[in-house]
Amino acid sequence: MNQVLRKSTLWILTVTLLALVGAVGAQDDGMKTVTTAFLGPGDVPSIDPSIGTDTSSIQIVLNTYIGLTTQNEVTAELEPGIAHSWEVDGTTYTFHLTEGIQWVRYDPEAGEVVAITDADGNARTVTAHDVIFGWSRTLDPETGSDYAYVLADWVVGANEYNSGEADSFDVVGIRAIDDHTLEIDAVAANAFVPSIFGMWMAMPQLQEVVEMYGDEWTEAGNYPSFGPFALKEWLHDESITLTANPFWAGNEWIPQPVIDSVTWLMLPSTAQLDAYEAGDLDVVTSVPLDAMDRIQADPVLSEELNIGYDTCSYYYGFNTAKEPLDNVHLRRALSFAIDRQSIVDNVTKGGQIPAQWFARPGLAAAPTLESHPDTGIWFDAEEAQAELALALEADGISDPSEWEQITLMHNTSEGHAKIAQAIQQMWSETLGINVEIANQEWATYLATVREDAPQIYRLGWCADYLDAHNYNSDVWRSTSSFNNTNWASEEYDNLVDTAVTLSDTEERRELYAQAENILVYHDAAISPIYWYTNVQMTKPNISRTFSVLFQDRYEKWDVGQ
Amino acid sequence: MSKFVVRRVAQMILVLFIVSVIIFMGVRAIPGSPFEREKPLQPQVIERLKEKYNLDAPVHIQYLDYMGDILIPRLESGDTAATFAEGDYLINIQLPIGEHGLYFRWMNFGPSYRGLGSRTVNEIFRDFLPTSIQLGLASVSVAVAIGVPLGIIAALRRNTIVDYSAMGVAIFGVSVPAIVLGPILRYVFGVELGWFPVVWSAEGFPYYARFILPATALGFSSSALIARLTRASMLQVLDEDYMDTARAKGLHERRVILVHAMRNSLIPVVTTLGPLLAFLLTGTFVVETIFGIPGLGRYFVTSFTNRDYPVIMGVFMLLALFIVVANMVVDFTYAWLDPRIRYS
Repeated sequence: MNQVLRKSTLWILTVTLLALVGAVGAQDDGMKTVTTAFLGPGDVPSIDPSIGTDTSSIQIVLNTYIGLTTQNEVTAELEPGIAHSWEVDGTTYTFHLTEGIQWVRYDPEAGEVVAITDADGNARTVTAHDVIFGWSRTLDPETGSDYAYVLADWVVGANEYNSGEADSFDVVGIRAIDDHTLEIDAVAANAFVPSIFGMWMAMPQLQEVVEMYGDEWTEAGNYPSFGPFALKEWLHDESITLTANPFWAGNEWIPQPVIDSVTWLMLPSTAQLDAYEAGDLDVVTSVPLDAMDRIQADPVLSEELNIGYDTCSYYYGFNTAKEPLDNVHLRRALSFAIDRQSIVDNVTKGGQIPAQWFARPGLAAAPTLESHPDTGIWFDAEEAQAELALALEADGISDPSEWEQITLMHNTSEGHAKIAQAIQQMWSETLGINVEIANQEWATYLATVREDAPQIYRLGWCADYLDAHNYNSDVWRSTSSFNNTNWASEEYDNLVDTAVTLSDTEERRELYAQAENILVYHDAAISPIYWYTNVQMTKPNISRTFSVLFQDRYEKWDVGQ
Repeated sequence: MSKFVVRRVAQMILVLFIVSVIIFMGVRAIPGSPFEREKPLQPQVIERLKEKYNLDAPVHIQYLDYMGDILIPRLESGDTAATFAEGDYLINIQLPIGEHGLYFRWMNFGPSYRGLGSRTVNEIFRDFLPTSIQLGLASVSVAVAIGVPLGIIAALRRNTIVDYSAMGVAIFGVSVPAIVLGPILRYVFGVELGWFPVVWSAEGFPYYARFILPATALGFSSSALIARLTRASMLQVLDEDYMDTARAKGLHERRVILVHAMRNSLIPVVTTLGPLLAFLLTGTFVVETIFGIPGLGRYFVTSFTNRDYPVIMGVFMLLALFIVVANMVVDFTYAWLDPRIRYS
């Protein structure tokens, strides 16, 4: 027994000693590092530019690769990327690439970013052919790229190749005139097409590396890139680290990074906040909503809080082919009866903006609450009751209970459930309509909505590119696969089709406002609920930009004392 | 005894086979597909992907192919292309035959559909199972270290304040799940006191320190179950005739309790410990999520939400294997704990 005691005492001493050594071991090495987080749990799905679909994947791609064009993360203006200039002739775009942009990778053995050379030992720089290879991978149906459709819609022949109608990439309208000049046949020329050509799925890619490593090419050590940062380490499900790329010369728009590295931990929001308070995180990218009251009451934490822009829009869709939602007056009544301000204040609590229409203000050519205060739909109990009376009359009944039972469905989530319950109560109080709420797990729900949408269903939409077209045409045009309402309007289609051909932003804004009015008020195919916000916290020693896009630009960040 | 072992192993294989068929067919029967995205893919693209992952074949053919990839070993020559298949197979042995060597490869659990093939199920096992096993062992240790002494003390001081307090602690453990206890522990001991790391990879702490809070959160609720079982079983044993015999032989009371009573009263505890161990070793979604631990547990949930069929198969077959093995080990432990139990 004594021996056991002695042994355990020894063990405890050793452990204590180790703990002390460990604590002393963590010394500040003078490097400027930022530790931030991705919303976990779970890994970053894929940092392959052709395959990445979610915010975390795209964040990594956009900091390691730069497109032909870029969008300023603060102003959302179109800016040059690796193409220093371009011109358009009819619908043919010619891009001029900057010469001498070095392909690099992080060499774990050397512990630094190294230049990639070709078979003859010459520096391998980014060429027009790399862009073409990148496009051919993205558009190849074998690749299974989620975002190929955005590119394919705007390039001659791209949809034919992506859908498998055409067997050869030759049908796609992209050509290299020389190593640094690229010619692209666009379907149409307009204000935002150049920004689509700069998106993550349209990046140059390094053919020899992709082919050499197969599926493993995106692992640290293999991953080639040329942008301001390079992939240093990827601990799956745990963290991902980018390190500054000294070969990136920088330009007016995408400068050389000031910080040495960025690390993202993959953490759920409550863990992010705890880690932030313990000093392990510099940024909280997702603040837990139940901590909002405490943070706003705290003199220090409230200073570090930032409620910023987010491109997403939260809405309820009505299946207009199902009774009784085929009655436009009923749809309007339901939409008028939703007190969106109350939902934002009492349920979601993140400073969200009550939505009067679908496309988020701030997108190019989208109406704003200042420019179009009377567009769309809002909470109005009297209007709701008036519309209800019209709806009852149109269906020849005297009481809402005579209608078929209405089901409101959302994907399983506590947040969606709370919102649905609040709206259920509003409808019951204002209109006397009792809807039942159902929910399904995400993948099942998506299939349900697509095959045969419930009478009322919840979905959201986030920008692929920052133009109203991505909302009003890509989602709600009668031909769109995202339109699950069975609603189609020729007038609406004409408005969005005309808007895309115009170059004057104000003229376009006017047409989109008219289209929105049809979508949310006149035909009331959907009920917009709110526009999302991005709630973050940042330590005071970090100077940063707050992105209105869905991505941050870490080369513009700095770390002070 | 050897007959018994053979019979148990045969039963084990049968159980695993049945489980594999049910899961394989079951996941394919639930609605939604691995390629169902918020922004839908072109039908042609989905077809190509199904072809790529053999999902267009009849389901029994898919099953046979899947099992074949796991069970049938392959020999590959060691030229450059083949070296990148390392991640595909669990067992890769280089044989000193031929110019580039010959590779013996066995057990391919397939690719993960998420990220379209950049990860394989084997890589997921390799990266995350060790962490989950370490955390699981630590949790079971916590559970036993708290539960068994608590149960014994409660039984020995039956119906006294000691018994009530011990059982009070046990009831607290059962009623406060890890999802509540975890964040509290992290906030108090991590953020406020700074004794333990708040996030998994926090700097300035030795490696083992990261296990302490999660293992406590996880082990505490299981310890309650163990404490109650130990108490009940101990009470039963204390009434047995052989306890009087032991005392009559003049043995010291401590020896009577520790050897004669405890060993016998542990049988029901060991019975529950087997499956508990299997579940804890393969990871726990809640605790891994709370503490941001890169373990296998979250794959039991995320693989379903992603309809990632090979990952679902992989993790659930692993769990099934752990459970049947743990149960078998438990059966053998009975014989050691109670000499009256003999297998033939």
